[in-house]
Order: sequence, then C-alpha cells, then structure tokens
Amino acid sequence: MDIQTKVGDGGWSKGKIALAVVGAILLVFLPVVLQGFVAMSFLVRILAVVGIYVMLALGLNIVVGYAGLLDLGYIAFYAMGAYSAAVVGNLFVKAVSHIGAVGLREFLTSSTFIFMLPVAALIAALTGISLGTPVLRLRGDYLAIVTLGFGELIRILATNNFLGLTNGAMGMSINVPNPVGLVAMQKPVINIPAVGFSFQFSVNLYWYYVVVLLICFTIFIVRRLDNSRLGRSWVAMREDEVAAASVGVNIRTAKLWAFALGALWGGLAGVVFANFQGFITPDSFSFLESVFVVSMVVLGGMGSIPGVIIGAALIGGLPAIIQGVAQSPMLASVFHIDAPTASAIANYRYLLFGLLMVVMMAWRPQGILPSKRRARELHPEDEKTLEEEDQSLWAVEHGIDGSGHDL
Amino acid sequence: MSMGKAKRYVALVAVLAVVALVVTGCGGSGASTAGSGKVTVDIGIGAPLTQGATALGQGMVRGATLAIDDVNASADAKKLGITFVGIQGDDQGDPTKGVNVANQFASDPKLVGVMGHLNSGVSIPASAVYQRANIVMISPASTNPQLTQLGRKNVFRVCTTDAVQGPVAADDAITKLGKKAVYVVDDSTPYGVGLADNFQAEFKTKGGTILGRDKTSDKDTDFKALVTKIKATKPDLVYYGGIYNAGALLAKQLKDGGVTAPLMGGDGLYDPQFVVLAGAANANGDYATSVGLPLEQLPQGQSFLKEFSAKYPNDKPAAYDAYSYDAAKVIMESALVAAKSVGASSVTGTSGRQAIIAAVAAFHGAGITGDIAFDKNGDTTNKAITLYTVTNGVWGPVK
Amino acid sequence: MQAQLATIVQQLINGITLGSMYALVALGYTLVYGILLMINFAHSEMFMVGAYVGLFTLTGLTNPHLVGGLAAFFKGSGFGLVILFALVFVVAMIAVGCLGMLVERFAYRPLRNAPRLAPLISAIGVSIFLQNAVLLWVNTMALPFPQVFPVKEITIYGSAQVSTLQIFILVTVIILLTALDTFVARTRMGKAMRATSQDREAAGLMGIDINRVITFTFFIGPALGAVAGIFNGMYYGVVLWNMGFIPGIKSFTAAVLGGIGNLRGAILGGFLLGIVESLASGFLSTGYKDVVAFIVLILVLIFRPGGLLGESVVEKV
Repeated sequence: MDIQTKVGDGGWSKGKIALAVVGAILLVFLPVVLQGFVAMSFLVRILAVVGIYVMLALGLNIVVGYAGLLDLGYIAFYAMGAYSAAVVGNLFVKAVSHIGAVGLREFLTSSTFIFMLPVAALIAALTGISLGTPVLRLRGDYLAIVTLGFGELIRILATNNFLGLTNGAMGMSINVPNPVGLVAMQKPVINIPAVGFSFQFSVNLYWYYVVVLLICFTIFIVRRLDNSRLGRSWVAMREDEVAAASVGVNIRTAKLWAFALGALWGGLAGVVFANFQGFITPDSFSFLESVFVVSMVVLGGMGSIPGVIIGAALIGGLPAIIQGVAQSPMLASVFHIDAPTASAIANYRYLLFGLLMVVMMAWRPQGILPSKRRARELHPEDEKTLEEEDQSLWAVEHGIDGSGHDL
Repeated sequence: MSMGKAKRYVALVAVLAVVALVVTGCGGSGASTAGSGKVTVDIGIGAPLTQGATALGQGMVRGATLAIDDVNASADAKKLGITFVGIQGDDQGDPTKGVNVANQFASDPKLVGVMGHLNSGVSIPASAVYQRANIVMISPASTNPQLTQLGRKNVFRVCTTDAVQGPVAADDAITKLGKKAVYVVDDSTPYGVGLADNFQAEFKTKGGTILGRDKTSDKDTDFKALVTKIKATKPDLVYYGGIYNAGALLAKQLKDGGVTAPLMGGDGLYDPQFVVLAGAANANGDYATSVGLPLEQLPQGQSFLKEFSAKYPNDKPAAYDAYSYDAAKVIMESALVAAKSVGASSVTGTSGRQAIIAAVAAFHGAGITGDIAFDKNGDTTNKAITLYTVTNGVWGPVK
Repeated sequence: MQAQLATIVQQLINGITLGSMYALVALGYTLVYGILLMINFAHSEMFMVGAYVGLFTLTGLTNPHLVGGLAAFFKGSGFGLVILFALVFVVAMIAVGCLGMLVERFAYRPLRNAPRLAPLISAIGVSIFLQNAVLLWVNTMALPFPQVFPVKEITIYGSAQVSTLQIFILVTVIILLTALDTFVARTRMGKAMRATSQDREAAGLMGIDINRVITFTFFIGPALGAVAGIFNGMYYGVVLWNMGFIPGIKSFTAAVLGGIGNLRGAILGGFLLGIVESLASGFLSTGYKDVVAFIVLILVLIFRPGGLLGESVVEKV
C-alpha cells in the first residue's frame, strides 16, 4: 500500500480559501464582463487560447517537470489530437447522419467533440507510447533531439497528406456547425445601455468554459499523480535514474507512463483546438510552438502547477494582449496613440518579449513560481531559506554549487 | 503555503480585478463622431508582419495604406465626413494568432471591414469570426478554393483561385510556349500545392508529360539535390507552385546546376524581387502567370505605381501590394455606399455592416488589377490571366 | 549506368557542400555544450547575423563611393579578391564573436548555476530578440548576396560538376576544422577548454580562469557560425532574417548525431546529415528528406545512445 507523503501544505489556510473563492469568481464571471463590452470581447478568445496553452503546458509539465524528460516535440501530440478529432469526428458525423430521429441525430452531431475527447486522447497516448518505447535508453539532450525530430516528422507527414488522411497543406475543416447547447445559450441577451453593456453568449465563451472545465480536471488528475506512487517514482527517476532503479523503481514503466500521460493531455488540447478553430492546417503545429510550450513550463516553474499556468498565460497571452490593447480604440483615445504608432508598438512586441524572457530567467532561474517540492529535493541544506522565501532565490542559488544539472 | 505568499496572491488578484474593471469600465460605443458630422472608422489589415511571409505582409500594409490615403482624399468621403484609419493586425501567418487578430478586429466597434489575410490557413477560420460579426472580409491573396465555398456571405477575394490560374498556365505552357515535358515542384503551402495540382492535372489532360513531382518547403534554401534530380529527367519546363522568396532560389540553383529549361510559376513569382534574388542572368526567360492585365497597361495601374514610388521610395511593390490596394478600396468604397443609405454615423452598426456586405457583393468598378466584380461565392470575376516572362531582368507580358 | 553514377556523384557533391556548412554550425553547438552543457538555441541567429555582417561588409568594400579606388582593386585581381574575402570573413567573425560574448555575459552568465533548462529559455529569448531586431531594424525582405566570387563549373565525371565556390567552401571549412582541432589539442587555451568540459569545478580549482574559457568559447562558436552564414549567403545568394532557423535545427541534429560535446563528432554528423539529406531528396522525395534525416538520427541513437563518436554513458555510477 502507498504511504501518503503529503508534500507542502496540508490544510487550507483562510487566505488560501479566500483566494480560491476570488479566483473562482473571476474565472467564471470575468469573461462574461469582457464579452459584454464589445471592445473587450476579443480578450475572451485570448483567454480561451491561453486556456488551451495551459492544458498543453500542464501536460508537458508531467513529462518535463515531473519525469525530467526534455521533450522538444510535444506539439506532435497536440497535432495528433487535432487531426484525430478532425478525421474521426468527420467520420462520426457522417455515420450519425444516417440516423432517422432528427433530435437524436442533431444531438449526436453537435456533441461530436465530447465523443472525440476520449478517442483522440487514446490515440495521442498510444502515439506517446510508440515514441517512448524506442527512446527509453536515451537521456537528456539526446532525448530532446529525438522528440524534436518526432515533432517535425508528424508535421511533415500531415503536410504530405499521409495516407490521404490529412488533406496536406490545404487543411481540414471540422464539419460541426454548433457545439451542443450553444444555440440555447445564445438565446438570452442582457442589455445595460447605461454602461454600454450588451451580453450574448458567444462561441469564444463556450470554448472558454470547456477549456476551464478540462483544466480543472487536468489539475485534479495531475495533483493526484504527483502524490501517487508513480509520481514519486518519477521524482526518483528524475534525480538519479540508476539509484531509482536500484531501489526498485521500474524505469521503463515510469517513463512510458510519463510519455503516455503527457501525450494524452496534448491530445485533449488538440481536440478542443480543432473544434474551436473549425479548420486546421499543419502550420499550427510547428517546432516553434513546441519551443513555446517548453518555455511556458520552465519560465513558470517546472513541476509547479500555478507556475506553469502563469507561464502559459504570459507566453501564450501576453503578445496578443499587447497587440490588442495597443490597438484598442479606447486606449488610443485615452493616451492619444494614432493607428500607425499603435501598429508600431504592436510590431515591437516580440522584440520586448524576447528580452523579457532573458530578464525573467535571470531574475528567477527556477521559474516564476518554482515547485517547492522540487526545490527542496534539490537543496536539502537550504530548505529553511526557501521556506522564508524568495526574492533572493537566485542569490541563494548562486552561492551554492553542485546544483547544476538537474535534468 | 505560508500566509505571506497567500497575501501576495490576494494582492495580485485584486490588482487584476481593478485593471479589469478600469479597462472594461470605459466601454466603447460605435463609430466615434467628433463634432460636425465627422466620422472616423477603422479598416482592419490582417497580414503577417513579425513572422511568416513578412515581406508580402508588409506589402499588403503598403497597398492598403495607399488605398486609404486615396479614399480619404476622395470627394465622396469628404462629403460624407468619413475618415478611414488602417489598423494593422499581425497574424504571423499562424492560424491561432490569426483568429486572435480576427477577434480583435471583430471587437472594434468602429470597424467597417477587413482587408486580409494572406495565408488561406488563417483566412478560413478567421472568416467564421467575421461572419458572426457581420464584417466583410476581402482577401487579396488567399487562393485556397475552400475559402469561398463555405457559404459565408461576407467573404470575398480579389485574387483568382488556383483552380483558375493553374489550368490557364498549363494551356499557355502547351500552346503558347510549346512545352511538352514538365517537372512540377510545390512549396507545401496551400497556395503552392493548389496551383501545382491544378497545373499538373490540366497539363496532363492536354497531352503533356509529367516527369516528376516534388514537395519542398517555403522556408527551404537548398534545392541543389532537387536540381540534380530534375536535370536527370531532362524537362523542357519546370513548374513551381510557390512564392518568389524560395522560387528565386530554385531558379538560380536550376541555372547554376545546368538545367536549361525555364522555370514557370504563378502570381507568387511575378514580382521584381524574383529577378533581384535570382539574379537577372538566371531569371531571364522564366515565366509567370498573373491575374488581370499588366499594371503598366492600365491607367489606374500607372498612377498606382507613381503614388507608390512617391510614398515608398525605397520599396518596390511585392506580389500582393496591388491586390491589397484594390481589396481595401472596394471595402472603403462600399462603406461609403452604405453610409449614403444608412447614414455615416451608423455605418459600423449591424445594419451598416450588412449594407457594406451587400455593397461589396454588388460592387462593380475598375481596380488597378483590372475590373473588379464578385460572383455569387465571392470570387472575383476578373479571370483574365496574363503570361509574363523576364527579359533583360524585367518582367514583361509575353507577346 | 554511367548517367546514374554521375547523378550519384553529383548528389554526393551537393551533400558534402551542404554538410560542410552544417559541420561549421554544429561545432558552435557542440563547443558550448561541451563546456556549459547547454543547448545554445541562439546559435542559429549568430549564423544569420554573420550573413548580414558579411553581406554589408562585402557591399561596403565593393562600393566605389565608400572606398574609392579600393573597390576596383578588390574586384580587379585574384589577389584583390583574396584580400576582400579575408576582410569580409574577419570582420564578420570578430563582430559575431563579440556578439556571442555579449550574449553570454548578459543572458547566460547570470544563469551559470541555475537549473539546466533555464539557459535554454534565455537562449530562446535571445533568439527571438535577435530575429526581431533584424526584422525591425534592417529589413523584412530577403537581400540578394552579390556574386563577387568567380564561380566556374568544373566537370569531373560524366555530367557531374563541381563549382569553384563549392571547392572554396569545402577547403575553407576543412582548414577551419583542422585549425580548431589542433587548437583544442595543442594550445594552453585548448587544454583549459578540455579541462573545463571534463569538470568545471575541478578545472577552476586547478587555477583555470573558467570565465575566460567560457567567454573564449562563446567567441569561437559564433565566429564559426558567422563563416557558415556567409557561405550560406554566397552559395544560395540570399540573406534573410529567419535564415538561421532551419540550418540551426539541422546543425544541432548533426551535433547530436555525432555525439554532442565531441568536436570530431560534430563534423562527422554535419557531413553525414548533409549527404543523407541530398541522397534522400535526390532518390526518394524532397518532401520526405527531413523525415529520412530524422529516422537516421533515431536509428543511430537507438543503437548508439551517445551518438556516433560520443561516449556511450548510458549508465552512470
């Protein structure tokens, strides 16, 4: 039987409960407010996209953060999920179209994506295992380059219309007009003309809530995993494979589970993306996208769920928000920015973004919100300092040697 | 978790909430009227500016900017008191970011329409967003046939599809140029693949021989191995579906590698930069088809070129500058038409936007790439394709 | 039969030229990796910046308005050309080498003792920054690289030809590779580099100035990358802000293929990858050339997990 080793906090402090309540309220109602004001409604889309990135980052966090396997081709599983959703989903819709009963047919058609979630997750997980099996012996950067190659492989196969499934560079449509329940939800319209508020449920909002639900589910599972026997064997394996094996950790199983579970969440995110986007091309699954997801995990703090979420929000959302806000008509009128200046600011965003990544890493090399468990495992001697936290984390790090290569 | 940390979280959340309230508190209203009936409205320019085909994207911005200047100076716009402002949306050629930009445009209450996007992979999902917001979209460059076949009434394009251009190119290659055996290459983009597929099919039905077909990437620079392969098949024409950036390198390497057959391509090659990059000696004798009649032959085209070199003395028009000019102009002129019927201040309201879509659908006029009108799908009816060739380092129509 | 053989020879020539450029860039990855155990993701931008500096130096030195009669001298004679190209390469190597040192000082040095992946993210940041800096401040358009080098095709076997430029690239690369190999094997600094790559702390305790070694490594690697960038510009005729990306991935692959951290491995990996790509594209399909290259990589790593020349340290005890 497992001996539960609760790591970090045991109970919920008052502050944390208050935080959770405020967070939950914001999570549910902020998008509604944003949707209600036309000029801000695009932020709902960006929040939903950030949500998809959060899912990806949480999934990759299992592989990189927990198991310590650097995966530079993670986007391949995202692609597998998206393409499975498109290929299998379109077949499903076709099959369902033979059903006589109109109500049932329409219900099944509109809820295709729900049926596709497990299917695509399974396909992605199997892909993960099939990648994992041949590379079990590889470590560190050798593994990184093989996963990179694998990511490119999947994209190239999709571009070359592999087995006639993907329609190549021309892209695939997902033939589901309206997801289940959307039409009904769009019926009520709330207007408060005094403040210019006009709310009607939107497609963006729909997918936002789907993503939020999936993220909650992901966090639940990931937390359970972290505290499970498997989670502990990942930690052991990450710190020292040989030592872990010698105390009875089955490295092979642990690695394959890491690949499979990581891939599974990539696949789920892919299904949501494909349905949200309605049309997919191989362009969405480039190597750069993999790099961004890795950056989210590392910048946020490997192994730390809140950290990874912040990392995903920063990298997945910041450039789009800078562009949107710089060009937002209200802001322009407040700060007297004319359109060309706003466009120039928008075009400089990636320059600043690159600089920001460098500065952030120099400021907090462990990530923005590093995992306490991870930090503690690495430096038993300065546990106390870490408890007291935290501005000087880097300085503390700097003074202590031998902490170099933990991956 | 310690109390200190929790406090900081609460503070962070509070700050976020305040920001959200401040930002949303000053919600915008429709087209802003400043004083005596003057109305400022926005036109979205969706193009890749910091990633992807940036050179073409910048060209789209240039074309649209020139059109905006022209329309703002026109008597109609002055009489109605409407001023157009271009808003650049950088889609990076990436579908996800492209749809983000589309949502950003759709949330602009002063928007009359969108000139964009470049990549079909962006245009198709973005067009769904515009459809929901009744925003007209005219693409100057997305040639994927699917774009206008999805039943979206707000979607138009001023470029022809690959299904038109490819077959015409194949006919020209056989009848005008007398070519019989061709090697077909594409660049793995929807544009290039579509063009090459359509060319290949027509060339084959007209009795030509396809010696081989290969895929490259639009980011490739090394075609040496491909050139060696092509050389061994002894073609009398090499057809390339793709954009001049990589196309010019292929042209150069073909000549360097001793392939004497000319290179032929679509409007993506018809660009002065093609000759600059390939080198005049290598580009001479190569062919490209392009939509409409040569700019120099049309009166509007000449004045466009004059305006262009006055405003952008250091640049030359890229593949889609002229199309972007036309697309942006159609949107703005239709907006003016709509403004006449619904009033200038409500042109960006729902009824105004629907009137704009109707006006674009009914549009008929002379553009700088030829006559512009749209069929029921939203495709241009301008199906005149001209065959060009490089002589002494300059593109000119084949006589 | 002879025609087919000639095609194979021609593909080998193509592959060797491509591979020699990969090898040069791969050396930059492997040097940094050997010493700091980090993937210098920004190395591909050094390649790109090198091509730009080389292009601007070349156009500057051949512009009569800038250098007067010197332009005619440079272009006029064989001797002039040698001087011209020597200048172009030296200027680009120094400029990009200094850029490399600067990047190390400000982006990587603060992370010397940070977790392994932190410098990787920093490097990605540097890469994004440099690409956008060139995009915003230099040009979004591809710039043509003037053909100053006298290119002549020499027929060697059947229809197979080799150009003077290909010979020039290969010879220069071999000279540089030999020089580097000798440098690392023979000189004091080379010894210091080897010691540092074996055990940084112990090397420091033995009195080696680690910072100097690292700074020097970050000069050499990017300088070699700059040479490859100029060759790329000369060989293909264009310079573009995102030109570093694909050669960067390929060269990194090459470095791993040969055994990362191993100089000769990087060279072997570079040539091998170039040849595999050319043959795959020539005899299979150009669309699948990268697939073939990556499958070769995966196969090699399955049977030799440390790369071709790397030590197979599968189990560390």
